[in-house]
Amino acid sequence: MTAAVIVGILAAAGTYLVLQRGLVRIALGFVLLGHAANVLLVVSGGIHRRGVPIEGAAAGPAADPLPQAFTLTAIVIGFGMTAFLLALAFRASRDLGDDDLEDES
Amino acid sequence: MSPELVGLSLLLLSGAALLAPLLAHALGRDAGYPLAALFAAALAVLAVPATAVLDGERVVLSLQWAPGLDVRFILALDGLSLLFAILVLAIGAVVMLYSARYLSPDARHARFYTLLTLFAASMLGLVLAGDVMVLFVFWELTSVTSFLLIGGRGGGEARSAAMRAFLVTGLGGLALFAGLVLMSITAGTGDMSRILADPGVVAGSSLAPLILALVLAGAFTKSAQFPFHFWLPGAMVAPTPVSTYLHAATMVKAGVYLVARMTPLFAYGGPWRTIIVLVGLVTAIVGASLALKQYDLKALLAYSTVSQLGFLMALAGVGTSAALAAMAAHVLAHALYKATLFMVVGIIDREAGSRDIRQLTGLRKAMPLTAAATGLAALSMAGFPPFLGFVSKEEAFAAFLAAPGPGWFAPTAAAMAAASASLTFAYGARIFDGAFEGPLTQELFDPRRSFLLPAALTALTGLALGIGVGWLNPVAGVAAGVATGAPAEVDLALWHGFTPALALATAMVTLGFVLFRFRQRVDRALEPVHLPASGARLFDRVYDATLAAGRASAAPFTSGVPAAHLGWVLASLTAAGVAAWLVWSPQTPAPLTGGETGADQVVAALLVLGAAGAALARSRTGAVAVLGIVGFLVAVVYVLLGGPDLAITQLLVETLTVALVVLVFRRLPQAFRAVGRVRRSGAAAAAVMVGAVAALGTYALTGRREISEAGAYFLRAGPDEAGGRNVVNTILVDFRALDTLGEITVLAVAAVGVMALAAAVRRDDGAPDPSLMLREAARVLTPGMILLAVYFLLRGHDAPGGGFIAALIAGATLVLQYLSGGVRRVRSLLPVPPASLLGAGLLLAVGYGAAGLLAGGEFLQGAIWEVELGPASAKLAASLAFDVGVFLVVLGAFAAYLHAFGSEDG
Repeated sequence: MTAAVIVGILAAAGTYLVLQRGLVRIALGFVLLGHAANVLLVVSGGIHRRGVPIEGAAAGPAADPLPQAFTLTAIVIGFGMTAFLLALAFRASRDLGDDDLEDES
Repeated sequence: MSPELVGLSLLLLSGAALLAPLLAHALGRDAGYPLAALFAAALAVLAVPATAVLDGERVVLSLQWAPGLDVRFILALDGLSLLFAILVLAIGAVVMLYSARYLSPDARHARFYTLLTLFAASMLGLVLAGDVMVLFVFWELTSVTSFLLIGGRGGGEARSAAMRAFLVTGLGGLALFAGLVLMSITAGTGDMSRILADPGVVAGSSLAPLILALVLAGAFTKSAQFPFHFWLPGAMVAPTPVSTYLHAATMVKAGVYLVARMTPLFAYGGPWRTIIVLVGLVTAIVGASLALKQYDLKALLAYSTVSQLGFLMALAGVGTSAALAAMAAHVLAHALYKATLFMVVGIIDREAGSRDIRQLTGLRKAMPLTAAATGLAALSMAGFPPFLGFVSKEEAFAAFLAAPGPGWFAPTAAAMAAASASLTFAYGARIFDGAFEGPLTQELFDPRRSFLLPAALTALTGLALGIGVGWLNPVAGVAAGVATGAPAEVDLALWHGFTPALALATAMVTLGFVLFRFRQRVDRALEPVHLPASGARLFDRVYDATLAAGRASAAPFTSGVPAAHLGWVLASLTAAGVAAWLVWSPQTPAPLTGGETGADQVVAALLVLGAAGAALARSRTGAVAVLGIVGFLVAVVYVLLGGPDLAITQLLVETLTVALVVLVFRRLPQAFRAVGRVRRSGAAAAAVMVGAVAALGTYALTGRREISEAGAYFLRAGPDEAGGRNVVNTILVDFRALDTLGEITVLAVAAVGVMALAAAVRRDDGAPDPSLMLREAARVLTPGMILLAVYFLLRGHDAPGGGFIAALIAGATLVLQYLSGGVRRVRSLLPVPPASLLGAGLLLAVGYGAAGLLAGGEFLQGAIWEVELGPASAKLAASLAFDVGVFLVVLGAFAAYLHAFGSEDG
């Protein structure tokens, strides 16, 4: 239940931001959408097994390591995408004086 | 020995293509001479296997190519291949000789010679191919080189003609590909000799109509058959040597070659022969009528080529030994006279500055040698005895008259063939007449001997082979053998006695002469005749409409307003989520309750506040601050769910993201742009929808208690097989290392994109003045942080850490350096350019993978070594090298971001 709330609110806030003006806010929206997707990936392994998936470290049953591995790379890739969007905003600030593309259309 | 020589011939020509740019740089246009010698050498190499072929053998070279697809690289020289190989290499050599004088002496010709030689190699490969896939690959290569040669460096007209030719032959090529794939599936082999030895397997199957129709679509488009003929006249914008070689002598005959090659399939049964013969003969008549209307010599020759291709296609369609022997003779005859005429037109164009047949009068007086070559070729084209063009046509009439089929078929075909031939006679006579008769209107001279020699060579060969046509019998015989599998007895001769074919030939000459004699009246009669729809215009209309439809369908997603197309994406994702819910929810077990802690609820509540704050923040600084808090809370979620690696990664990424955002914000206004109320409510509605679907989906799909099968396997195998106790890390660098390799590649590409985007932005405004405390902190902390990064990198296999986390720690060190003195300080700590780090990391990762292959295992297969260290022993996994590669790429990417966004000075 809490997982559903977390994913839902992050997705909603992200959606709201990507529909605003300005590339930076769109970038921030994508960060939040990324959080939502990442949390969903991790909880897809189940929330009942929460042990650290390291041999000899977990007291209880270990969490599913596969979604964690996927999520780890997803976080870094998301970072790469954020940087790319920021670079777009950076470039737009040079070309347009602002990161808002809508004046151009 | 023989089979290797067949391969060597193709190899020689491919080598010539590699050599061509060097030769062209060294010799300029004279590169044509050594290339012609290489063509001749490739032909000479074929002499030994050719003797075996003339004895009725089939010389086969079969090499392993794609064992997984059961495709072998088969080259086979038989009679039909020999005929076309001679054509490709001999005419190729002549065209090379001609190019050496046709091209301008002072320009660069590396591209031209390379492409022309490459085309020749592709064409040779096409006619030697013994496997359907090999055939297809070379077939497409000829289309591509043809496209590049037509388009050249010309302007819009050349480009659109090239595009038209390429699309028509390319679509035909796709059809052919489908046909050949179905054919090899049906036959269970791609080996053409096995498919054709037992034609019933393919031609008798239920798929036969589809297969043969697809193959014919390829053949008809390539050989410019009606109604696909229109691309060929357009292709005449190419330089004359290209028109001569590709669009008259060789490439356009590939379709005829294919149909002749597949004769056993088309002859097996069904209406195929009739269809091919009728399409061919209609093409012959339409092409010849259109040729009669042309005044531009090159256009006339183009339509004439269309007509002759139709004639050849019809002969291939008849498919009897006699028809194929006539086709063999006519292929040679046509190549010889058409090559001559194209080359002569090029000469006249160069010397007289015009290609208009009405201005081309009295040539004999000013350019006697050129006129003589023109005359010889025109007479052969017209079908005048004793030229080869006459013999081949008479043999063709005989073959049509004896064509198997219903009673009406043979006479109809023969009559149509004779009609097209008399039209051909008429325009051939016009060229001859133009060359020799009439007053001289310009001051002209014969060109240099070296320019004229190639055309004279082909013109005289056409005459010599007509008189000595008996010499062609062995080649034509083995070529015709494709129909039965054994060499055919053929008797090509200038004089067969008084036969029905001779009567037809006489009628052809008579009618042709009448058409020529009364040419003014013919012209007047033809004037109002137009095809109801020009193929080219129709094609252009379809082409433009396709592009317009593409633009229209993309319009909603290409607006300048990001929200407009992001809205589409979000809406379809939401719709897909709802649809998935409707489809799968009945099978999904009800979510399990319980398993939640008080901590979960607190974090969730805080996240609701944080996310709402991030969405509603008005100022940039406020938004970044809230964003950092949200990221921190997400890290806590990962801790609660048992993912320490994730939590560390998330925290570091969040820190670095905030650093980057701040760097970018320095150049932007403080506050966000306000948006209107309507837009805000729309966004809010969309947000609620997306959030609700995401929450419902999460609730419905994440309730299971059992661990996934894959997860259980990794937990078990990670420590044992990959030698690491940290299972998440073993998945990243070992079990699913290929995924990781793909991901760091994406990261590297995105980093290069960031550098390119930011490269144009000048960074003249200085970074904020660093405080003394920051400088001191950087000085003190940096060595420790570097050590920490190395420590996390090394222990990653057994405890939280690894390449990703270590690189992010190192990235934080770089941020610290930046804050204490700008990009200059970053560079002094990390003097390597970011792009080199990206490259080195990817190379290391790929090299590690390749080492696994070389060691006899799989790509990216690791190894574990036990290392004795005195009393203690440690396990060392080779995958550490891969993790170092990951480290370098991620660090390189982050360094690239700092270089891109940061200021040079502190």
